[in-house]
Amino acid sequence: MADPFTTLGVAPAFSLDLTQLAQRHRDLSRTLHPDRHAAAPPGERRRALGHAIEVNAAWRTLRDPITRAEALLERLGVPRDERGGPKASPELLMAVMEQREALAEARASGDVERIDALAGAVRQREQETLARLTEAFSRAEGGELDAPRLLSLLGELRFVRRFLDEVGAALDDLS
Amino acid sequence: MLLDIFDPKAPPKAVGIDLGTTHSSVAVMRDGRPVALTTCDGTPLLPSVVHYGAHGTVQVGRTAKAYAEREPARTIASAKRFVGRGAKDEQTALLGSYRFAEGADERVVRFDVGREAPVTPVEVSAEILKSLRQSAIDQLGTLGGAVITVPAYFDDAQRQATKDAAKLAGLEVLRLLNEPTAAALAYGLERQNSGVFAVYDLGGGTFDITILLLEDGIFQVKSTGGDSALGGDDMDRALAERLLRAMGLEDPAARTPELIALALGAAREAKHRLSLAEQVTVSVPRRGGGEAELTLGRQDFEAMIRPLLERTGRACKRALRDAGLSAEQLDGVILVGGSTRAPSVQRYVQELFGREPLVELDPDLVVAYGAAAQADLLARASDEVLLLDVLPLSLGVETMGGGVDRVLPRNTTIPAGARSTFTTYADHQTGFELHVVQGERELASDCRSLARFTLRGIPPMPAGMARLEVSFDVNESGLLTVRARETTTGLEQQIEVQPSYGLTDEQVEDMLLDALDHGEEDLERRRLADARVEGARMVLATEKALAADADLLSDEERRGVEQALAGLRAAAAQATRPGVVQAAIDVLDQRTHAWAGRRMDRAIAGAIAGKQLGDVEGSVAHAAGVEAHLEAHQRGRN
Repeated sequence: MADPFTTLGVAPAFSLDLTQLAQRHRDLSRTLHPDRHAAAPPGERRRALGHAIEVNAAWRTLRDPITRAEALLERLGVPRDERGGPKASPELLMAVMEQREALAEARASGDVERIDALAGAVRQREQETLARLTEAFSRAEGGELDAPRLLSLLGELRFVRRFLDEVGAALDDLS
Repeated sequence: MLLDIFDPKAPPKAVGIDLGTTHSSVAVMRDGRPVALTTCDGTPLLPSVVHYGAHGTVQVGRTAKAYAEREPARTIASAKRFVGRGAKDEQTALLGSYRFAEGADERVVRFDVGREAPVTPVEVSAEILKSLRQSAIDQLGTLGGAVITVPAYFDDAQRQATKDAAKLAGLEVLRLLNEPTAAALAYGLERQNSGVFAVYDLGGGTFDITILLLEDGIFQVKSTGGDSALGGDDMDRALAERLLRAMGLEDPAARTPELIALALGAAREAKHRLSLAEQVTVSVPRRGGGEAELTLGRQDFEAMIRPLLERTGRACKRALRDAGLSAEQLDGVILVGGSTRAPSVQRYVQELFGREPLVELDPDLVVAYGAAAQADLLARASDEVLLLDVLPLSLGVETMGGGVDRVLPRNTTIPAGARSTFTTYADHQTGFELHVVQGERELASDCRSLARFTLRGIPPMPAGMARLEVSFDVNESGLLTVRARETTTGLEQQIEVQPSYGLTDEQVEDMLLDALDHGEEDLERRRLADARVEGARMVLATEKALAADADLLSDEERRGVEQALAGLRAAAAQATRPGVVQAAIDVLDQRTHAWAGRRMDRAIAGAIAGKQLGDVEGSVAHAAGVEAHLEAHQRGRN
């Protein structure tokens, strides 16, 4: 797939202004969406559809910090096989396990407030991880690539995401 | 009375059609405003009921509805509930007065309407669309295609079936449009608003909730959710169940289609009366003679439908969460669908969102209005408004263990595409089966099965050597296309598609030929009309492109394009065979090919240029642009 930064015409960086990114996505959609080419000859319609799919995919990739980090690692030449799978410190694994148990308990007893509190704590952790990733990626841009650190931070982010997904599922059950 | 002056040279008007569970309607833009056309019933709303008479007659609308209690098996209402569903589907088994034909093919529901051949929900829907098409032609002279609405939560099989019905009815489908998006378009154009809106759409048989952002002429859906098997019909069924018991018919075996139809009719009437009165009395015949009288209060009814409303509430909460929003952040809640007329439904929505919902536009017609607006925009190749919709349900592929490998998650902006790579698991394996499913559940068997694809002709290789690249493309109507390629040899694979539900292309083609009096001849005439309309539209679009981007053509290319354009103009006006128009389209297509690429590159550069995005320190946020949009939006208002 084409590089999402190139597709959306933005400078590659982990820290992006999402308001501007969404605006860019909409500006491009305005010209590329198939509805804009509905009356055009078939070749143009196919081309527009292909472009629109690519722009939507790029936007999907860049608005999510996990896939955005993966796209940056791709650009930095970190091999794909090393990027997969969560890599987290034993300390994080312990913390996650405890939070999982707490979530399962809250879910079983239908304690929505407790679930919200757990989610809040994890979101706080997410913000910290994002800040560290921003810093590590800007060092990498400056030539100081520390791939193991980036991968471990990305692993943390994946754990956080999975936990928040479970929170969503728990709230789905209880609502 | 003002007469519409029919201008034979004016381009044919495109219409918007709301094909609803209980009612359908067709609308067109006139002087910049949507107007509902009169249906064969003389009203804008046509009951979605089709009656198959004993002597081969087919009636649609009010006249068909009149037969509902007398000849229930021959009178199909709510066909939309069965569209794109299988004979063994849970929905098919719900309380109803139909007789189903026993058949080997479980992929399609077939109604036994007392004729030699049973009819499918696609054919029933086609009768309704045919009637609306005729009404439109009677009032507009010619017809330039249609936008047809579907519930946002319709899956691929249901969308495909709707498109098939339109094809059978002789309609050129410009696009399928999600009902809540259509409603938002109608409201947005009406009120010139911007902000984040929720569209709560409770129809006769389907429920949709859509959260969307309106800004700068773009209607961007953030999330959608719902239940394609929940609506006013379920309220009727809950009430009818109580009536059937009062009639002494606890035992399902004692219930004939006639008695069920009677109970459903009485239930529907009681529901409508309860919108105005606090209490109503219903009288129904008792088994073994006499009458049973039942007094129903609004509170009884509310208690009865509360579980249904709570199901809508759960879907609303999830949609808000998917959009990353809370109810307080909304700028408005729009009500759509006849069932939202019930005071108890309105009260529930108000409770749920903490604000009074918007009801200015007729909830029964607002969807057709929006569809008409979109049809008009497409036919005029206008760039005033853009609708960005999403995939309602995740798409995935069944894995070896019966799980689901998700290729596109729900709420992905469409058009969308994804590629997955698979490999062979046995030596010299030459075939490969792919099971595509849609839904959120973890097991493939709990999701909706869309299709099985069998790939053949893989060159014999050791296990794990072949690389099968499968691409999934969802277009702007939410319709899926799957393609496969073996990448080590570059061979395109033959794909056999076995849709899990619905009709195959050949079956639709056969039905189409059967439906026409003179088969091939009529079909040819219909294709000619469609090709001419399409050709005329293409002429218009190419003229617009020439006005804007002629500088991207060399003199020679420009002569070529103009020649092809003149050829197509002549063919669209005079051709007597569809092939002639098609040939002219092909020539124009080929001569505009390279130019189209340059124009698109220019457009992309234009969208990107001058607004270089810089990285802003500390602005990393988790969610999609919604919060960011909201902030910008709120800043703008303060």
